[in-house]
Amino acid sequence: MKNDLWVEKYRPTSIKDIIGNEEAKTVFTEWLENKRPTKKAVLLYGPPGVGKTTLVNAAANEYKFRIIEMNASDTRSEKAVNRIANPATSFTGLDKFSSEIKGNMLFMDEVDGIAGNEDRGGVNAIIKIIENTRTPIIMAANDCELEKLRPLKKLCLLIRFQQTRIPLIIMALKKICEQEHITYEFAALEKIATNSQGDVRSAINDLQGLSEEGKTLTEQDTLALGSRSKDISMYDTLKSYFATKNIAEAVSLLNFSNVEYDDLLMAIGDNIPRRHSNPVDLAEAYNYLSQADVFRGKIGTENWHLLKYVYNNLAQAAAVNPESYKPFEFISPPIRVITLFWTKSKRTMLNSICTKISAQCHISKYETKMIYIPYLRLMLQQKKKANTLIKWLKLTSEEVTFLTSLKMF
Amino acid sequence: MLLNKKGFKLPRVEKEKFITLIRLGLEYDNQKMLFSVKNYNNINQLRDTLQDILKSEISFTQTCNICNIDFGCSTCKYAKACPTKDLPFSCVCNQCLRPKKQIQQQLF
Repeated sequence: MKNDLWVEKYRPTSIKDIIGNEEAKTVFTEWLENKRPTKKAVLLYGPPGVGKTTLVNAAANEYKFRIIEMNASDTRSEKAVNRIANPATSFTGLDKFSSEIKGNMLFMDEVDGIAGNEDRGGVNAIIKIIENTRTPIIMAANDCELEKLRPLKKLCLLIRFQQTRIPLIIMALKKICEQEHITYEFAALEKIATNSQGDVRSAINDLQGLSEEGKTLTEQDTLALGSRSKDISMYDTLKSYFATKNIAEAVSLLNFSNVEYDDLLMAIGDNIPRRHSNPVDLAEAYNYLSQADVFRGKIGTENWHLLKYVYNNLAQAAAVNPESYKPFEFISPPIRVITLFWTKSKRTMLNSICTKISAQCHISKYETKMIYIPYLRLMLQQKKKANTLIKWLKLTSEEVTFLTSLKMF
Repeated sequence: MLLNKKGFKLPRVEKEKFITLIRLGLEYDNQKMLFSVKNYNNINQLRDTLQDILKSEISFTQTCNICNIDFGCSTCKYAKACPTKDLPFSCVCNQCLRPKKQIQQQLF
């Protein structure tokens, strides 16, 4: 049909036909061929339009799996996931014995989009399914650094997809032009490929939009293409941020970054001492950072018109003495986030103890933590009196050990 | 400095640095005494660490999808605009990309 989308028309049906990401393809096929893989699920992550979904479809086609797909257009609450994914991963269809089909393959596209009330409990349901699955489970996401995906990541083999290279995109576009009998100027294909920023899908869409049958595609035609902006991850944001040469460059970078403002402030704060060895520069950079932090605080949840001042101050902090820049190893994610992660079990334990004591003593948990616990720690060290106290507060031996070994608050 | 992804040598590094390299995805072959890239998930951090050890800019060799030769990104005219400096380790060399040359292998 003349009106077919070329993206669909030329979508590869076998793994070898997918352009780019050779390493990711190899790791994925090795996992799929492995009968007893160490991880029962795979999380493919990377920018859009680089072939994650195509790879899953091609693999299903090649290895004769039936795809059961759940994507962003489906509700992915606990109930919905259990209804669709549970039968797909626990039972074997009878047609497995009569047809070429090897079995089911569960594919959950855009898992980073599971959010809100509609998808409540979705991630936990997926985790349970992964633990009990008998069939391959594949997930795809653009951003795997999200907090909500952390428990999923532990159970999955992570496979990173990179943007596709310009020469590879040009070759793909040339191939399509030949099949569609379109004459072209090489520079036009170069422009489309460069403008796509590694996104094959958008490059093919641009080519389809610009080309007309019987007319040569010229470089002039591609002038209509707008430049595409891409989200930048934490690591890349920090890397470009500290290497920036002027304020304008830093502002534009911050505008494209998809990092949370608070995480970014913390990460910059952690890394500034590594960036500046001169104390005067360090003080100046910290001064701008603190002003950015003040404005971030003033924004709260509604005064977003102040965001420009956060960005401007951050940009000024980045542009302090740009000539002195030397590459260095970043601390990422922020130290505070890492510390919170490592101390989570301790904090949970302390909270449960505080809940018990606060109920018994009729005081708030905060008061328990700040006033009672330091004394309680000392009292528990006196063995004779400790037993009565432990019984009355109903503390377990684990909790007692935790309290006596507690060093600071 | 151009490193062959299939095997390259590094100067002797401290134990902690070696552990970092292995965690970031390098593999060490004791017999050949060569490092190779096993995991590509942390390639950016890996490249930065290697640059820190070797004290110079590094890049990995690329294999041409069409003629199968190894080449460096420095010979590519799109190097500056390239969205991925290191991965994948396969691309198309300048000779194969020339406008008049016929596509010898089906890529798509």
